[in-house]
This record gives sequence, structure tokens and C-alpha cells, in this order.
Amino acid sequence: MLPCPASGKANHHLMYQYNNFDKQFVAERVSQYRDQTERYLAGELSEDEFLQLRLRNGLYVQRLAPMLRVAVPYGTLSSAQLRALARVARDYDRGYGHLSTRQNMQFNWPELASVPDILEDLAKVEMHAIQTSGNCIRNVTTDEYAGVAADESVDPRPYCEIIRQWSTAHPEFDWLPRKFKIAVTGASDDRAAVDVHDIGLHVRQVAGEVVFDVKVGGGLGRTPVIGSTIKTDLPVADLLTYLEAIMRVYNRYGRRDNKYKARIKILVRALTADKFRDQVNAEWAEILGSQRGKASRLPTSEVQRMETFFAPPEYAALEDATKLLSNQRMVEPEFDRWMRHNVTAHKRPGYAVVVLSTKAFGIPPGDVTDAQMELVADWADQFGFGDIRISHQQNFVLPDVRADGLLELWQLASANDLASANAGLLTDIICCPGGDYCSLANAKSIPVAEAIQDHFAQYEDLVNLGDLDLNISGCMNACGHHHVGHIGILGVDKKGEEFYQISLGGHSGDAGAEASIGKIVGPSVSRSEVVGVIDEIIDVYLAQRLPQSGSSEQPESFLNCFRRIGMAPFKEQIYADAE
Amino acid sequence: MPTLNNQGEVINDAWFVSEQAADDGKPGAMVPADRWQPDSGAGLYLGVDAEPEATYSAAAFIGIDFPAFNDGRGLSLAVLLRERLGFTGELRALGDVHPDMLHYLQRSGFTSFELPAERNLATAQAALQPYTAYYQGSIAEPTPVFRR
Repeated sequence: MLPCPASGKANHHLMYQYNNFDKQFVAERVSQYRDQTERYLAGELSEDEFLQLRLRNGLYVQRLAPMLRVAVPYGTLSSAQLRALARVARDYDRGYGHLSTRQNMQFNWPELASVPDILEDLAKVEMHAIQTSGNCIRNVTTDEYAGVAADESVDPRPYCEIIRQWSTAHPEFDWLPRKFKIAVTGASDDRAAVDVHDIGLHVRQVAGEVVFDVKVGGGLGRTPVIGSTIKTDLPVADLLTYLEAIMRVYNRYGRRDNKYKARIKILVRALTADKFRDQVNAEWAEILGSQRGKASRLPTSEVQRMETFFAPPEYAALEDATKLLSNQRMVEPEFDRWMRHNVTAHKRPGYAVVVLSTKAFGIPPGDVTDAQMELVADWADQFGFGDIRISHQQNFVLPDVRADGLLELWQLASANDLASANAGLLTDIICCPGGDYCSLANAKSIPVAEAIQDHFAQYEDLVNLGDLDLNISGCMNACGHHHVGHIGILGVDKKGEEFYQISLGGHSGDAGAEASIGKIVGPSVSRSEVVGVIDEIIDVYLAQRLPQSGSSEQPESFLNCFRRIGMAPFKEQIYADAE
Repeated sequence: MPTLNNQGEVINDAWFVSEQAADDGKPGAMVPADRWQPDSGAGLYLGVDAEPEATYSAAAFIGIDFPAFNDGRGLSLAVLLRERLGFTGELRALGDVHPDMLHYLQRSGFTSFELPAERNLATAQAALQPYTAYYQGSIAEPTPVFRR
């Protein structure tokens, strides 16, 4: 996939292509990590020292085995890369991988000593695990529909790649008080949840100029906060100088004495957003005055170079396929349901964006086998341009599917457990690996997700529950994003027993509704009670929702209903028996 | 405790942390900020949480003491001393200096590294330059890759 401007064919890549510099850097990173692993195994590096180094190369040591988190930069994969991940799953793991809520791919069973070999294999397809964990700048995330979404104003991927390169092995910002997550969106519907990131960037066009709005201090975890806007209309040339200013203030003044108070959100809150902004602006002015600061300003040529990697592929001039599809949908009710929930409008006529759901019943959310990975890679080539995304809802997305191939794709996906027609619905649960796999977890999360999916699988469509985000985390680290679930479930430990705290009204923010943090409904419940409580919540919603909301023919959504009627009716129903 | 310079060579010099005022005038004394005088000709001894004062640029030598190898504040302080204050003298990393941190230290403006006694000298020398080049600009190489 090298650029071939002379051929007369479209010079499209769909993603960033490594040049010799990138290849050398990643190869040197693998050598460096191989040496560190060998020194650890030889006893020259202590457990604690090696911990810091392996985390920065994606390796956790979990309850059952090490867990390797491979970076999927801003959730974008080529078919060749997905096939390489399938090989890793088969050769080094137990035949499956796990899609994470940060758009990465995790493997649960690699041997610590073979991780350098895995990384060397991945480097051959221009992949790595650099900074996927540890107290450093993590993989930057974005909209899984970037480049194809109808509501997009600027494609965020070129800026994500610029940030990826800038943040890789940064001399000053690789040893922060705590982990640091940056998200970028360029659409009006914020699918990247920029409100709940350490830095959230909204890239827009104003009078033909690309500018950024900058939020800081959002986050989930034990202290959920919506980020504060500290800068609007930041010129693209100053993207990196401004990020540097934020990072320096955080690196110097973020707390290092208590890991639970070390995220930037705590610093922003302690200083107030206004004072934090003043400090960042003072720092930024100094940076812009320095030689290195001036050199760090992005030249137009660099932005243009990045943009060429993400130029639209050579779309065919297609007719709108509505008529064909409506015939197919009438004949196949299941296809119709899938079309409604898992297929989204594309920028171009005759194309569609497809969500391939990993949330089939009986399978932990986000888990995919090596065979499924290879099939998805094949379908990406067959029905699109070989481009695949991972969404923060832990599903695959095929961004460029020809509409006249949708029926065939659905049939193939159905036969391979990848066509659960539940994207955005209650059973499309976001869920962390939980106590089955993770040593941090207080409680199991996957069996809870399965019990809920089992209970509601048939029911949700019959009563038209509509969009409903249910998110489950096994502990306060909130990897399952429970704070921004319309219904959130958090595993807690009560004297050695697993309990679950239910919250309502969280939202990660979109064009229709601002982000909000869910509120706890009441005392936590045992695992056997969770499904019953969700049932009570749904009953209250169905009884109280307005038959139509606004201009839409659809009934009032769960979120809007909750925002209108408040917590009290839910609380009463759930705890009525207890009093 | 072996000390390396940026080239990975072992250097022997007399710099020491002056524990008490009586020693501040001795040759090679690194003096804590609250006793240090800009015109004294003495070295300056700083913690990673020090604020970079304008007068520090006059120091003959600055040592920054890392309480833990992963305390990144010392990296930002070094950048500020070099870039904001224009300090051009020798900048030494002291305390918990880890071989795998040397490339970050060097790129942030340190020019020498005092390794704890238990550290393997050969490992540290080998870890000084794990990469041929980096993406961003730094004190050591101010030009980012996109302008090279």
C-alpha cells in the first residue's frame, strides 16, 4: 500500500503508512523492550522497576496471566493488521482477543517471555503496544465513524496521528503523575466522549480554518467529572504547543502522593478551571517565545502530509440503494432489525457504515476469536476498502460497505455470531473484563452482562426500548465506563462479597444531549438481584415515557425520560419491598 | 557512585551535596537553594519540585535530586532551567537515577548522571541511546521530525 501517484489510480491509504523513520523507531522500541525483559528475567531489574517499563509496552500482569494491550491507534485497522492480530491470538494466546473500550485489542494469555516476539511480529504490520498503559499519554481515541460520518465537519484522524507521534516517547511527558487520555472528535455527535477525557479536543472548521476547542479534566474512575473548556478556536498550528503547555502544568503540579488524586481532573478542580487556564496560558506564551516552541508549531505542509493518508478512497458513483434495501428488508425481518440498529448513514450515496456486534449471547462483550478476526478482515476487503474500526462500545465497524452488499454481509455475519442486531440498545453492553480476568476488579462483570443480555434479548425490540446504554465496570477504575451509562453498574466489595451499585442518568454526550455523570440509585444489590433491579427500572421507564418526543415518531428515550421525571420514581419502585 | 556524561564516559569530579552551611564554601559543594548565593561560585542543589528562579542561570553547576526514578517533575524542571532560564552549565541527575531513564534525562537537558552504587555501569552505558532519533523536538535536538 505504498503511494503510487504515477499509476493514475487513487492515491488512497485509508490510514497512516509508516515511513523509514517510524519503522526504525518501532524496531528500536522492540529491541529496547527485549533487552529490558531479558534483564528482568536475569534478575537485574526488580519487579517494581520492570513494572514501569512493561506497562509502557502494554503488558499488565493480571489475575490469571499477563495481559498484553496492543495499540490500535484511534481505533483504525487495516485488514492486514487484523489478520496479524488473529495470528497473535492463535500463536501466542488461546485463540481469541478482546476489544477494549479504548479501541485497542487485548490478549489475555501471552507468556511474559514471548511478548518481545509478539511485538516484533506486530511491527511487521506497523503496529506496537507503546504507551497502552502506565502513567503516560495513552493511545489517542476518536470517533469510530471518522471520515465517513454524515455529521462530521473535520476528519479527526490526521490530528490523532500528529498527536500519536508527538506523544510517543516524549522526553518530558512519559512519567506523569497518572495515566493520561486524549480524545478527539470532529463531528456534531460526539461518539468519542471528549467530555470525559483528560483532554478532549473538538476539531471544527471556522471560515475555512481548522480550529480546536480544548477541554481538560474530564474523566471517569473514582471521581467522575465532565471536562472544562479552557480554550476555544485554537489554531491548528498551535495544537502541539498548547498540548505541551497543559502537560507541563500537569506534570509539575499534579499530585504524586496519592494515586487516587493524581489525575489532571483533581488538579483542575483544586486550582479551579479559570486558574488552571491562566497557568496554561502563561506557560503557552513562554513556549511560543522559545526557539524549540517555534519549531514545534505545525507547518501547513505537515498537516497536509497527514491529510493525504486519510484522503477518501475511490468511491464508485452509486445510486441510492433504498429501493433494493426496502424490498430485502420486507422479505427478511431479521435483516430489517439489523439495518435499523447496526447500519448508519454514510457520507456517500450507495454506501453504508456497519457495526459488527461482538455482543452475541453467551460471549463476553468484546471477545472475538481468531477466525472471526480473519472473517472481518476478509469482509472489509470484499465489501469495502480494507478499512476496519474498533468502537469504544467494543464492536467492529466496517466504514465503507456498498449498500447493495449489505444483505450478503448480514448473512455472513449472522452465520458467525457477529450480527447481533443490538447496536446502541440495552443488550449492547459495555463491559470490562472484570473479576474473571482482572486483578483490580472487586466483582465479576461478564456474568452480569450475560444475565442481562439473556433476560432482555427477545424483549427489547418488542417493546421498542430504543437507545439505552448499559455499562458495567468491575471496580472504581471504571474501565466499563459505568458513570456514563444511562444505566450504570459498578462492582463493589462488601466484606469479601460481590455487590453491585446501580446508577442512572449517565451519558457520554452527543448532539441531542449533553454529557452527564450517572447518580447512584440506592444501596448496592447482590449479583442475583441485578437482573430484577434492571427489570424494575425498565418497568418504570415503560410506564412513564411519553409516547412521542419532540418531532420524532419514536417514544421518549430512557435518558430523556429520566431527565424529566428524576430519580424518585425509580428509587421507589426498586426499594419498595425493602421498606 | 559512578557518574556518566552524555557520551557514556565515566567522569570523576568533586561535586558533592553540601549538608551543612560550614561546607558550602568548599570546592565542589552543591548548595541547597535556601543557602545558595548567585555570586558564590558554588553549585546549586535542587529538588524535583523546585521553582526555577531567574538567578539560577548564574550557577556554576546544578544537581537535581530524583526521589524516585519515575518522578517526571525533574524532567520538566530541567527543560525550564535550560529553555526558560538559559542555564548552560552542567546539569546532573542525582538520587534514584535509573539506566532506563537516561535517554529521557539527556533529552530534557541533563548532561551527567550520578548512578546509585548498585546500578550496573555497562547496562547504563548501553541504555544511554536506545533510539537513533525521536519524533518531537527536545533540549538535545530542538527540531521535531516534521522539520528535519
